[in-house]
Amino acid sequence: MTDERTRYDVWGAAIALQAALAMLLGLVLIFIWGLTGAGSFWPKWVVFALAVPLSIQLAVRLALRVGDDRRRAVALHGAASGWLAAVLLAVYALAGGGTFWPLWPVATLGLAFGAHAIVVAALPSLRPQERELAARVDELTRTRAGALDVQAAELRRIERDLHDGAQARLVALSMQLGRAEERLEGQPEIAQFVRRAREEAGAAIGELRDLARGIAPPVLADRGLAAAVEALGLRAQIPVTVHASILRRPLPVIETAAYFVVAEALTNAAKHAGGAAATVELADHGDRLVVEVRDDGPGGADATGTGLRGLRHRVAALDGTLSVTSPAGGGTTVHAELPCGW
Amino acid sequence: MRVVIVEDQALLREGIVALLREQGIDVVAQAEDGAGLLRIVAGHKPDLAIVDVRLPPSFTDEGLRAALEARVRQPGLGVLVLSQYVEPVYTAELLESGEGGIGYLLKERVGDVRGFVDAVQRVARGGTALDREVVAELVRSRTGQQGEGALSALTPREREVLDLMAEGRTNAAIARAMVVTSGAVEKHVSSIFGKLDLPSTDDDHRRVLAVLAYLRSA
Repeated sequence: MTDERTRYDVWGAAIALQAALAMLLGLVLIFIWGLTGAGSFWPKWVVFALAVPLSIQLAVRLALRVGDDRRRAVALHGAASGWLAAVLLAVYALAGGGTFWPLWPVATLGLAFGAHAIVVAALPSLRPQERELAARVDELTRTRAGALDVQAAELRRIERDLHDGAQARLVALSMQLGRAEERLEGQPEIAQFVRRAREEAGAAIGELRDLARGIAPPVLADRGLAAAVEALGLRAQIPVTVHASILRRPLPVIETAAYFVVAEALTNAAKHAGGAAATVELADHGDRLVVEVRDDGPGGADATGTGLRGLRHRVAALDGTLSVTSPAGGGTTVHAELPCGW
Repeated sequence: MRVVIVEDQALLREGIVALLREQGIDVVAQAEDGAGLLRIVAGHKPDLAIVDVRLPPSFTDEGLRAALEARVRQPGLGVLVLSQYVEPVYTAELLESGEGGIGYLLKERVGDVRGFVDAVQRVARGGTALDREVVAELVRSRTGQQGEGALSALTPREREVLDLMAEGRTNAAIARAMVVTSGAVEKHVSSIFGKLDLPSTDDDHRRVLAVLAYLRSA
């Protein structure tokens, strides 16, 4: 900091010295010109030549006072353009006028500077803290998406483990109990105990199944979003038409979120849009997956209900958006857009 | 009756094989994946293939796909699918897969030895064995999408008979399950067919198909 200030001071002193010398030299030349008979005013060119380096130094010094990087660039641009324009005009004037040739170069300089200034003004200013913040937001967005995707993959692994582990063992247990039961025909009381044990195992299997289905329905992992949504349609309490135009499979986390958006919207439609029909659209719009569920029910849905709020959070966590349109008498539309990371 | 079994989990596969052999059913071959299923079906020409939906290498619906393919190669092959889940999409694919018996049971039903053996024999003979969860799913979507309709005309007893029929059970089995006489079941059945306006038939299998067609009509 001190060094910098010292250097600036040296530069300032140098400029002052140059200015003083230039003025002295100018005066001396004018004196000589007067002594030599005051013909054509030739010292003007020498004065011009002396002014050129001085003026550029002054312009740059002035521009460097601007603190913000991007604004300083504009100031330097302005200083350089202004200086060049001044030089051109001076040359024109000193050369005695005539056709105004500096028009085009000066206009071009002005336009270029104007464009630069507008661009900088239009962009939000990025101070160092803001730059840091922007970088941080980028990083968080990336790591969050990564974390969510790891989480979705992890949940599917848990589902697989349940299927191959606990569920399979319980099925084997239930089968062994069944075989035992068959051999206890002569002892109905004991057979009764065994049957109850088998029923307990069956209940445990059922509970594990519900748990696994809540994580991600197997048909989603097996066949992808379009098939899983078809299955939801078959299951729904209302007639459902599905239009799917997705050519690629989104990341598991996106697929699961989209699936639950449709599931919740169809459940709501069945609950509130008594007997109405629903249409589900799945489309791949560039880098976004668009999910829309429309019903032709009475509308007037409460968009702040817990189910929809939960969905909105789930979608927002993926940087997606979810909107509900439900005018009274106009049906209900749930529209979600999710970034796919394709 | 010649049966093949395709299940990747040895514990379950061996358990099912032992259980069926105890019941005098001839298990002629076993395999662990979809390719294995096609191989043993081609090699042994069984009456029935018992197949787990989720098989290696993809661990998705490999078993179901292989079973449907095996049925194309051997028309009339009975297919009994076992799964941890009821998926309406898979049920529909099975029901539409042409000639031959079909079954779709949740895996834990193998614990009910008599019920399971009964289902195996039915499907091997060209009949149907649908899990009660599958039937409940069909009834639910039918009533949900069209309102109760004609189903509301059925008495609770008749609804019970309808569900058991849709599972593929014979009159005798329905009578046993409901602890009534076969005559009572027959009466319920003809009343159901009248109310739902279905063509009556004495053939058990055609009767099941009529009920399923009714439940699946949307």
